[in-house]
Amino acid sequence: MQEYAIETEGLTRIFRTRFSKRELKAVDDISIRVPRGTTFGLLGPNGAGKTTFVKMLLSCTHPTSGRAKVFGRDSRDPLARQPIGYLPENHRFPTYMTGWGMLDFYGALSGLDASTRRKRIPELLKTVGLDERAHHLRLGKYSKGMLQRVGLAQALIHSPQLLVLDEPSDGVDPVGRKQIRDVLHGLEQQGVTIFLNSHLLAEVELFCREVVIIQKGKMALAGTVEALTSGSGYKVEALAVPEQLETELRAKARSFSSQDGTLHLLFATREEANAAVDLLRASHCELEALARTKSTLEDVFMKTVDGGQVQ
Amino acid sequence: MNPIVTFAIIKDTFREAFARRIFWGFFGCCTALLLFLLFIMRVDVVAGALATVSIFGNSLPGTNVQNLVQTTQSVIAGVLYYAGMALAVFASAGLVSAVFEPGRIELLLSKPVSRTHLLLGRYAGNVLVVSANILYLVGGSWIIFGVKTGVWGIGFLLSSLLTIFIFSVLLAVIVLVGVLLDSSAVAIMVTFAIMIITPILAQKTTLERLLSAEWSRDILRVLYYALPKIWEVRGIVQDLIMNRPIASWMPVWSTAIFGVVILAIGIWRFQRRSY
Repeated sequence: MQEYAIETEGLTRIFRTRFSKRELKAVDDISIRVPRGTTFGLLGPNGAGKTTFVKMLLSCTHPTSGRAKVFGRDSRDPLARQPIGYLPENHRFPTYMTGWGMLDFYGALSGLDASTRRKRIPELLKTVGLDERAHHLRLGKYSKGMLQRVGLAQALIHSPQLLVLDEPSDGVDPVGRKQIRDVLHGLEQQGVTIFLNSHLLAEVELFCREVVIIQKGKMALAGTVEALTSGSGYKVEALAVPEQLETELRAKARSFSSQDGTLHLLFATREEANAAVDLLRASHCELEALARTKSTLEDVFMKTVDGGQVQ
Repeated sequence: MNPIVTFAIIKDTFREAFARRIFWGFFGCCTALLLFLLFIMRVDVVAGALATVSIFGNSLPGTNVQNLVQTTQSVIAGVLYYAGMALAVFASAGLVSAVFEPGRIELLLSKPVSRTHLLLGRYAGNVLVVSANILYLVGGSWIIFGVKTGVWGIGFLLSSLLTIFIFSVLLAVIVLVGVLLDSSAVAIMVTFAIMIITPILAQKTTLERLLSAEWSRDILRVLYYALPKIWEVRGIVQDLIMNRPIASWMPVWSTAIFGVVILAIGIWRFQRRSY
């Protein structure tokens, strides 16, 4: 059994303009390994090269150099796409199809026979929360949220081992998002590898175990969400702090704010936080809160993107 | 090639064709012509010879029944060959380029199907859609003529196969232009240009006499042999219907070579393209 669902080695894609022959490196030498069964997030600002990277995994776009493997098979081999379920971001499902007809078509393209499709389609439509009225309604009449749901069902039709989702909850209401998240959690528990490309950082933080941030085509940061967001600092909140002490503590803190008589301080190390607590207690101030804080994925993302941190 | 996949692509092409009004228009025109032949044209044949032909109740001057049927079939085949073909090209260009639309092509390419299979499946589906329409008109009118006059010559039926063959060659051009430029409008223009230029090139002997420079005559010859022989195949269609011997099958096989080469280039280009 292959250890990695996705492996890329020096994957690079250069676009050349037709006439001026100017070069644009959309993806620049990206090497990643996505372990089987993990939930993996791909992050980056607009134009970072995320979609081009995903398209190379699916062999929609041919790499200029480097290679990609899916479960050990070269991504250019059509059989490498057998275990993949894909939901593109700006999909244009044929509007003449009904929800049922669309799943039937894409199921057949995935090699499912008619009887299996007949069994899977109603199950899946129910799983993604589309009621029976939607089964025989043309996709042209579907709302954006319904299209996302039927798109997800399409990606799941052949019970894939790797799900590649590009903004899966785009246009879906909060209830629908929760439903989609539940579906994905269920799949994760079944050992399906989920590769998520999303702008919703909170969603990625909530769902993914590992992330890669790419910027200007290069891999800027990679690691587990836990490692990337842990150990950011220590928060101290105190009431009725004398002005002189407040000035002293502000000078030592990494950041501070004051609201309704409460002083909020953030220290980089435990030692600094302890020293601040000692000073506060010596001045008989009341402590409101003392806690270790985590960075959010958004903090990490912003720091990486703004700071231009590239490995 | 997995037959489930092939069948799905062909079925999808039919579904998309039915969703487009132009195919229903084509089907409606064919049906109107068949109804005209069925109800409006009355042919009375007495002892194998034509007694009267009447249209809207007015009798036409007497003529040989075989001649009448073959001439009428020849007219139908002629209209189908050019007007029907133009309509089919017009409708099919959109059907081919729709597959390359961003947001749709990525999903198709993400499936475990080779690009060759995808493109050939769509191509075959498109040919079958147009074939169904052509066979409906030709087969329907052949039966009506046969029942009304007792003339059952198969030349008319065979001629429809040649019409389908020429369409499939033109569709290869549509596919190539579609793959190269993603534009149904340009695909239509290029295909129509071929339909217009090739009858002119068919007058090769006359044109060679009019051209003074040898190099220009060489260009003419290259174009003549390289491009499909739409005009000459039309002549073969007529000969088949009129039961005349076929002087040469060269126009058919040289056109077939053109179609195969163009389709092969289209597939090759499709395989190399990034979306």
